[in-house]
Amino acid sequence: MSAVIETSNLGRQYRRTWALRDCTLAIPEGHVVGLVGPNGAGKTTLLRLATGMLAPTRGTITVLGQRPAAGPAQLARVGFVAQDTAVYARLTVADHLRLGAWLNPGWDDDLARQRIGQLALDPKQRAGSLSGGQRAQLALTLAMAKRPELLILDEPVASLDPLARREFLQGLMEAVADQRLSVVLSSHLVADLERVCDYLVVLVASRVRVAGEVGGLLATHHRLSGPRRDPGSLPAGQEVITESHTDKQSNLLVRTGGPVLDPAWAVTPVSLEDLVLAYMSRAGDETPARRQHLGVAS
Amino acid sequence: MIRLSLLQFRIQAITAAVTLAAFTILLAATGPHLASTYAADGLGSCHGSSCLSPATYFTASLARSPYGPLFLLSTGIILLAPAVIGLFWGAPLIARELETGTATLAWNQSVTRTRWLAVKLAIGGLTAMAVTEALSLMQTWWAVPISQAVADGSGAGVAQSRFSQLNFATHGITPIGYAAFAFALGVTAGALIRRTLPAMAVTLAVFAALQVAMPLWVRPNLAPPDHVAIAVTGQGDFSPAPTGPGGSTFTLLAVTIPGRPGAWLLSSGPVNAAGQPVSTTPAACTSVGNTGQSSAQGNGFQAGQGPAAFLDCLGRHGIREALTYQPASRYWRFQATETAIYLALALALAGYGFRRLGRLS
Repeated sequence: MSAVIETSNLGRQYRRTWALRDCTLAIPEGHVVGLVGPNGAGKTTLLRLATGMLAPTRGTITVLGQRPAAGPAQLARVGFVAQDTAVYARLTVADHLRLGAWLNPGWDDDLARQRIGQLALDPKQRAGSLSGGQRAQLALTLAMAKRPELLILDEPVASLDPLARREFLQGLMEAVADQRLSVVLSSHLVADLERVCDYLVVLVASRVRVAGEVGGLLATHHRLSGPRRDPGSLPAGQEVITESHTDKQSNLLVRTGGPVLDPAWAVTPVSLEDLVLAYMSRAGDETPARRQHLGVAS
Repeated sequence: MIRLSLLQFRIQAITAAVTLAAFTILLAATGPHLASTYAADGLGSCHGSSCLSPATYFTASLARSPYGPLFLLSTGIILLAPAVIGLFWGAPLIARELETGTATLAWNQSVTRTRWLAVKLAIGGLTAMAVTEALSLMQTWWAVPISQAVADGSGAGVAQSRFSQLNFATHGITPIGYAAFAFALGVTAGALIRRTLPAMAVTLAVFAALQVAMPLWVRPNLAPPDHVAIAVTGQGDFSPAPTGPGGSTFTLLAVTIPGRPGAWLLSSGPVNAAGQPVSTTPAACTSVGNTGQSSAQGNGFQAGQGPAAFLDCLGRHGIREALTYQPASRYWRFQATETAIYLALALALAGYGFRRLGRLS
């Protein structure tokens, strides 16, 4: 499986602060990838580096095997919807479709018109007077109709109300189902990702905490509760992600490839949100060996 | 990309078209009457020295007619056009897209940002140059009677030689250079500052500073000036003024250069027979035509006698006037050099803008 985004020791510095530092990851193709992490984890910086909007200060990044924004051909392969979903306020919806057609050799005008029709947008309306949700939909239409191989969305729904958010993600899902398309979508809202993503990357402070297919992650993580005991006494292959203890009881979230056989434990499945929160709240001082282990299985 | 740039440029294009149309109507409506006034003053049929008197009358009367103010107004529009273009076309070109985030949208289409900037710069820059030069050519056509009268006789009021500051900056090809420079300055300031309003302020400040510095310190030195010393007589075109107690010292400025019409007089001052600058009044001349008052109370000359006797006295005592000037024949060389300087600056700014573009986001 080849990677849509592959980075090695990638870093980006703004004046004195590092927005992203020593980031090494590989995101496999053919997925709808959710990139999740707390504010300041470096998600936006990573995605802007992937689209070539930013140049790396250190390290390397390749997107679909090429340097980001290396030329018109590479630009045509990657679609991007930025956080603010900016559109030209003075131009109409129809103008935006025209500019998309002018600037993209692979432009799919039927797709664009169909989407605008479905969204019930007035082609003659100025983009500046659209609602936030409509603007995001227009930006998504532009990114989609250029027929990219990879679509990158940076918190596209962060500023939308719940209904607009649902509609946006629904539109995204339908489009992805129709096209052979890899998607990387960042958010700090797990609920949004749960609906659309089949692959998850948890990024905390520029480091990948966990990455993998959602189904696989959910199958290999369990919540264990039972009489109090030392986590060190767990069998090999059961890795503790988070633990909490009372005088009598222990609650653990563990990752394991095999079944949990100890009858002392009550085993319950974890939700994606629990899993993400567990990895995000976990102490970040991992050993290099452990980081290797947590690296993306691609 | 060209079509998108044209689409984004349509407001500016409409503004430019309306301005050009209004300017054309104004000048086309008044130009023929100005030309007929020129002919009515006898300037159409005169030859050689017989033109001197009607030409002088014509230029002097401009101030009393609507054509003097109209000349100043149209000149002012041409002078301001590059600044307005730099502020309202140049500065927002990139800064507005960065501010609103549409640069990200543009840079994620299948067009490199180098091409994006190249097309935007070409369309805006070429239009800026064309519009400014069109204004200049129209006004030059309108003002032909005025410049002809100045060439036939002498300048007065608004009617001055083509080397004068106002005419040099609004006629010929210099407006092309100014427009290109101001536009590139605005674009690059916008790219560096990334916000439209501060970029406009910087553009205005830098452009205004250069437009003041150029005629004051750079243009006079574009070629080594010529020197000449002329006789001082009462018939000459001089502006003398006794200074110091009892008129013991004096200053003497030349107003025109005899025999060199259209030359650009840079400086003038009295010299003695040995060519040394002088300021002490020869003893014999201190009381000639002089009230003994310092020049603060009028020009210090007695009524009736005037400066002519004083000038004659200076001439008799070996005082000549040394002039530094640029001959009229250098006009187009100066025009070309100054335009080339501004175009080179514009290209350098644009090149810097391209280099910065990779680091923008």
